[in-house]
Amino acid sequence: MVTTVRTGWFEDCAVGERRDLGGYPVTENDLASPFGLAADLLRAVVAVDGWLGGSWTQVRPPRPGEPLRAELTTIRRRRSAGGDTGVVTWHLALRDAGGAVCQEGTASGRLAARGAGPDPVGRDVGTVAWGRALAERLGRRPAFAEALASWDGAVGLRAGEDEVQLRIYRGRVLEAVARTPRGATFTLGADELTWVRLLTAEDNEFMRTAMTGGFTVRGAGYEYLRLTSVLHLVIDVARELALEEAP
Amino acid sequence: MSHTARYLELDGAEVFVELAGEGTPVLCLHTAGQSGVQWRGVTAGLAARGHHVVVPDLPGHGRSEPAPGGPVTDLGEYAAWCLRLLDRLELARPYVVGCSIGGKIALDLACRASDRLAGVVALAADAWTGDRPPERGLRRELADVAAPSRTDRTYLGTLAVLGRSVPAARAELIATMHRREDPAVSTSDLIGWTTHDLRERLPDVRCPVHLVVGADDLWLDVPAVRWAAERIPGARCTVLNGIGHYPMEEIDGFDERLAGWLAELPTG
Repeated sequence: MVTTVRTGWFEDCAVGERRDLGGYPVTENDLASPFGLAADLLRAVVAVDGWLGGSWTQVRPPRPGEPLRAELTTIRRRRSAGGDTGVVTWHLALRDAGGAVCQEGTASGRLAARGAGPDPVGRDVGTVAWGRALAERLGRRPAFAEALASWDGAVGLRAGEDEVQLRIYRGRVLEAVARTPRGATFTLGADELTWVRLLTAEDNEFMRTAMTGGFTVRGAGYEYLRLTSVLHLVIDVARELALEEAP
Repeated sequence: MSHTARYLELDGAEVFVELAGEGTPVLCLHTAGQSGVQWRGVTAGLAARGHHVVVPDLPGHGRSEPAPGGPVTDLGEYAAWCLRLLDRLELARPYVVGCSIGGKIALDLACRASDRLAGVVALAADAWTGDRPPERGLRRELADVAAPSRTDRTYLGTLAVLGRSVPAARAELIATMHRREDPAVSTSDLIGWTTHDLRERLPDVRCPVHLVVGADDLWLDVPAVRWAAERIPGARCTVLNGIGHYPMEEIDGFDERLAGWLAELPTG
């Protein structure tokens, strides 16, 4: 049976934290669940004060008796407006013997906070606080200013439903906001798990992710292509920022 | 050991060919948009192992003049060109070794002219890419060959398809050299890569074939390469762990590895 996860306080959950929950033998009952085994398992093994929602995807149906391995990743964390609680999102992947994902699911749960914050922002992709921290670091990279010396626009960076836009003029980020007056020139988006992988992988996986369809790009495709090396640098800097908060 | 280079005229255009050693001929074909320089770490060692190594720059690539009809979008044209080159150089029963489009051209040669070949080693090639990358996008890119950040995308795209075992300095050298492309030619090559379908012709191959694919090659699916090998009578398939799309550039001592594979191909 898989390990149960002690979540503790909101502050104890770190985005990017990965746990191998061990093997899980699939039963006939599991296959009958309308919510999917990955979602059921996630809610069964993670202890929270209340579940808020989630989703699951079936890549292929598991077979009864098939030994699957469960891998849990913390992919998002936000303090609630009141400050005394927060919402954490986990991703659970069920992998077969060959390592291929069979089912995966995400779920968000509420946890009580130990303190009142403030919280580190280095892994809160898509938030304004993260965008500002990123912009501040990009401002210290001459290569960023050089590459964008003739550029005027806004780059959106989106994780799941969260998007921050960097308004850029001649190599400088003028502001990082939820919405620029004219909107983003283009937005580079991916799900939270893809961002976690980008931020925590051994190397900068920007190009591999782009080439294997891991991003959704909205807006001006031409400008997105034009900024290829800039986006590679942005991911480099985002990885440095995330590393400062390694769990 | 002799090691020379020469220009010769073929189809009304000057072709650059590097020739080294004596023995069984081995025709080495480069990848999309690149040139015979990709084989520079292999040529001398392979020649020293008793092969007559022939490394052409395909039309429009490296030091060869452009193809008279403009950039080539049909790998079958390159295959037919290779047969004319073999005639011109009077090479009898050569091995053909190619990588990526070169590997697929080698497979095409096995399909169309098995009786003329001693065997084929196809690196990083399958029989059909399933329109990956999509032809439509490549044709759009061809309409604007100054497409934004082309060299950055070639550089970073090369790094992305190299194997994880390749040391950083070597990866940097490979990617930097890959920037030396003519985008009109390499995009046309890729149209050839994505549209060339050899699936139906594989069972007709009569010469020995060895398909080699890197496990880290983002451009290819290992099962698709295995599928192709299963359909070619007697073909072998090797998966290289930690290697990506350019084995002859990524692997130190590739000449020895290749000479071994050639020696292991069935004869007769």
